[in-house]
Parts: sequence; structure tokens; C-alpha cells
Amino acid sequence: MLRAEHLSKRYRQGEKEVVALLGFTYAFPKGATAVVGPSGSGKTTLLNLLAGFDLPSEGGVYLDNLPLHQLPEDERARVRLEYMGFVFQQWNLIPTLTAWENVAFPLLLVGRPRKERQERAFALLERVGLAHRLHHLPSRLSGGEQQRVALARALALDPPVLFADEPTGNLDAESREQVATLLFEAGKERTLILVTHDLELARRAGHILHLKGGRLVREETPKAKG
Amino acid sequence: MELFLLVLRNLLARPVRSLLTLLGVLVATASMVLFLSFGEGLRRALFQELSRVGPAIQVVPEGAEGFVFGALPEIPPETLKALEEAGKALGVRALVPTLFLARGGFDPATSFFFQGLPQGVGPDLLYPGVKAKEGRLRPTEGGAVVGGKVAKRSQLSLGSPLRLSPQVSLKVVGILEESGGLADNLIFVPLAPLQRVLGTENFSAILVALNPGQKAEAVARALEEAVPGLKAQTTGDVMRFAERALRISDLVRFGISLVALVVGGLLVANTVMMSVYERTREFGVMRALGARRGFIFRLVVLEALLLALLGGTLGLALGGAVSFAINLYTLDQVGLALSAVTPRLSLFALLVALLLGLVAGLLPAYHASRIPVVEALGRV
Repeated sequence: MLRAEHLSKRYRQGEKEVVALLGFTYAFPKGATAVVGPSGSGKTTLLNLLAGFDLPSEGGVYLDNLPLHQLPEDERARVRLEYMGFVFQQWNLIPTLTAWENVAFPLLLVGRPRKERQERAFALLERVGLAHRLHHLPSRLSGGEQQRVALARALALDPPVLFADEPTGNLDAESREQVATLLFEAGKERTLILVTHDLELARRAGHILHLKGGRLVREETPKAKG
Repeated sequence: MELFLLVLRNLLARPVRSLLTLLGVLVATASMVLFLSFGEGLRRALFQELSRVGPAIQVVPEGAEGFVFGALPEIPPETLKALEEAGKALGVRALVPTLFLARGGFDPATSFFFQGLPQGVGPDLLYPGVKAKEGRLRPTEGGAVVGGKVAKRSQLSLGSPLRLSPQVSLKVVGILEESGGLADNLIFVPLAPLQRVLGTENFSAILVALNPGQKAEAVARALEEAVPGLKAQTTGDVMRFAERALRISDLVRFGISLVALVVGGLLVANTVMMSVYERTREFGVMRALGARRGFIFRLVVLEALLLALLGGTLGLALGGAVSFAINLYTLDQVGLALSAVTPRLSLFALLVALLLGLVAGLLPAYHASRIPVVEALGRV
């Protein structure tokens, strides 16, 4: 389980100190949790800290009691590789690799043989409906297709935690629905942390955390309510 | 292997830039190979010639060590006498005084090298294996024996006149077969007319032939002791001296080619650095997905190494081709392959190219591996 305790992040901007996140405490349960809030509310900062991209000014992040915030950079990278998957708003595929190679990239990092990487990548791409796009470069794929490749890549090592940062922000309505369905499907059996502006999308999650001014101001469980 | 493919893909994704950088390294390596190939060529030619020289010892004035062809006529007849005395006591086989004269300029086609030999001595004593193709093997009192290449180049035949100076001229009495050695490019004349031309009774060098079983080193040292002011060089001495001289010239030529190499290295560094800047986000994604810093570092260094190695290999090939072309010319003109791309030079060139790539790649690689993930992903 992923847990944040009294998580704060402060930046210096010239003379001024900016508080991006303040005293965030939450234990993310299995299933989807959406983090919503207006721009500047601390959503991205929270995700950066939870994923170990950045270190908190105070507090800590624990992955099954492993203090992520106390690990050196390369160790945090190892934890991300083994326990976390990422879907970003801008897809962030590696432009020189084909769809299947992008999906297989995390498997390459853990040293799996090519045959195994290929089989796993092909299976995942089939699962997201892209069996016909295996050997295409990202530049030859549509936005929705690229995001589905990114989702397949996030699932390559079957991580227990999945982060999605505005995953449908750049997509048309049809692709948005396709990606959202696949995402929540994948989120059923793991911890999915979904950062979004899109309240409609957020409502499909089991829990919604409202951030404002860097603080957690409200927690909702729409499905339980509904 | 996978990393290598990743690097290759990236280089191919920017073909024009990669090609231009490759050309830079190629030219730098080719020029280095060519510069250094002259040293290797000279080394090879000299040692081939020296190992063919008949007399075991060459006596030259002190300070003129090295190449007997460069020695000025500074050994007077009295010294020759003194040497003959000493030689008799040491039991040497023969002492052959000799004199050199070079005529002409830088162009080998118009240059002539004369070697004066005493009466009754032929080039076969100094250059074992040479044979007469036409006429005599040994120079006569008004007659010269001409090396095969000189004869061909200057269209000399038996009876052709050879003018050493306005007053002194000789006739060709013998033409040697081409042997691929130095003798091909020499004209052997009697000592007396050459001394007349130079206005001296002195000699440039005295060549000492030993009896079987005699030790060249010991005889050389004994001759030096007996007649002060002279340097008695064995073939080994000359080889050592030549090697020293060639090393120095190698260093000078490497220094010159270093300029091209530095430019090549900067090109690689620039290309890789640009590529790193353009791919900041990509590296950020890799790090976010779990790649360690070392992975990114290796990726970038490998890119620089690959560029340098490809450029270096092609440069080596180009250098080899130009060296071959130069040799075709110099073999035709002076009978010597002046340039040689030896295995050790090839290895050295590839190692220098790799080192170049490594050095050029280190800074961009360090930079790429240290960019914070949040900055690289634009998530600040």
C-alpha cells in the first residue's frame, strides 16, 4: 500500500517561499483514487512526491513501509521500475522505438530476454486493442493510440501502483472513453492514482481527493455514496 | 546489444547531423593515419635497406651519426691510414672509403645521388644481391654504374654521358637490375672524379667489412678507441639512431594531427550535447520509468563512441587508400614506399578515435544523467 504522511513541499522563488503542498496525509487503498483540484492546487507536486520524482520538504512516502523519501535517486528509480507504472498527459513515448519496443522498455531495464519482452509487449498491445500497430513508431500513431501504448507500457511489469496524470487531457471524446475504460479496468486490481481536472472522469474512481492551495480539503467516495 | 540498437536508432533518426559528425571524425582520423604512415613507411624502408647493407660497420665523423648519406666529406686520408693500421691489428677484412654527392632538388625525378667507390670495389659489396643488367657491375676510371630506376627515369643507356660538374663528366658503363632497394636510385662512380668535383681529398664515410665470426660491436668500439674523433656505427647503432629520430618525427606529426583530432572531438561533443538537450524529456521519461543514471550515462557515451568508432574506421580506410596512392607514386619515382599503414598504426588510430569519442561523450553523458526527473519532464 502507498501511504503519504504529513507530506509538504516548499520552493524558494527568489526571496519568497512558495508552499506547493502542506501536511498531506493519506493511505491510498487498492482501486482508483482520483486527485482533483484547480491549477496550482498541488496535484502535480503530490504525484511527483508519491512517485519519488522529487523529495518532500517534510513528511514521507511509504510503499509497504519502505520509506521512499529516504532512498537515494537510483534506488527510487528501482522502486519505480518494480512497483509503479506511469501514464502521462503527453504520452511520453520514446520516439525512436516502435509501439512494442516502447511497451517492452521497462522489461529491457530489468534485463528480460528479447523473446519474453516481445511476447509480453504483443499481449499487452493486443489487450489495449493495438495488435495491428505493433511495429509503428509513435509519430505514426494517433493521440489515443499513443496513450494506449503508454498504458500498455505502464502495465509491462504488472506494477501494484499505477499513476495517471491527466491521461485523457489531450484526447478526443472517443479516445478519451477508450483510454478511461482501459485505465479503470487496469486499476481494479491495483492502486490507481489518477490526477485530473476532469470531474466526470474522477467520479468513476472509488475515492476522490480534493486539493486546494496545497492542502487536502475534502475526501469523497462517490461510488459508496451512489 | 539492445542499448547499442537504441543508440543506433537515435543516430539514424538525425541522419544529416550524424553524417556530418562522422565526416569530421573521418577526416581527422584519415589525416592522422596519413601523417603517421610516413613515419611507418620510412621506418620500414630504412630497416629493410639497413639490414641489406653489407659492411657491418660504418665509420663517420663524430657528430654525423645516423645516416651515412648525410655525412659531409670530413674524413681525411690520414685518418683512413690510421684506421687501416688499426683494422689490420683487429683483423678486419676490408675498409672501403666512400663519398656521397647529391645533385638536384626536391623533385625525385630530377635528383641524382652519386656514391664514390674506390678502384676495384663494386656496389655488390655494399648492397648484396645487386646484379648488372647491362655492361659492367663495377665503375671504371671514367665510367659510372647506374641504378635500375635512375636509368629508366632519366633514360640512360650504356655510353650515355653523365656530367658531374662542368669540368668532370663520365660515361655510363653499367646498368644494374632493379632490386627494390636503395641501389636502384644511386649512381656509382669512382672516388677520384667525385673528390675532384667536391674539391676534397676527404671521404664521407668508411665502410668496414668483417671476417666471419668477428663481433661488429667490439670491433667498432676498438676502432673508435684507436682513432679518436670518429664514430664507428654498427648497423644496430644506425637502426637505434633511426628509430630515435623517427620517434621524434612521429611525435611532431602526431602533434600536428592532434589539431584535426581535437576539432573532430569537439564535433562529436557538440553533436552529442545537442542530442542530449533535444532529448532531455526522453531521458526524463526513461528515468521516470525506472532507468538508473548509469543507464542514461552509458546510452550517451555509447552514442559518442559509436560515432567516433565509425568515423575512425572509415577514416582509417581513407587514410589507407591515400597512403596506397602515395606509395604508387613514390615507388615509381624513387623506388621506395614512403607511406605504410601498419597493423600497429591501424590499432593506434582506432584507439585514438575511441578515446576521442569517450572524452567527447563524458560531459554530455554526465549532464544527461544528472538532470532532475521533474525538470526533464517539465513537471516543476
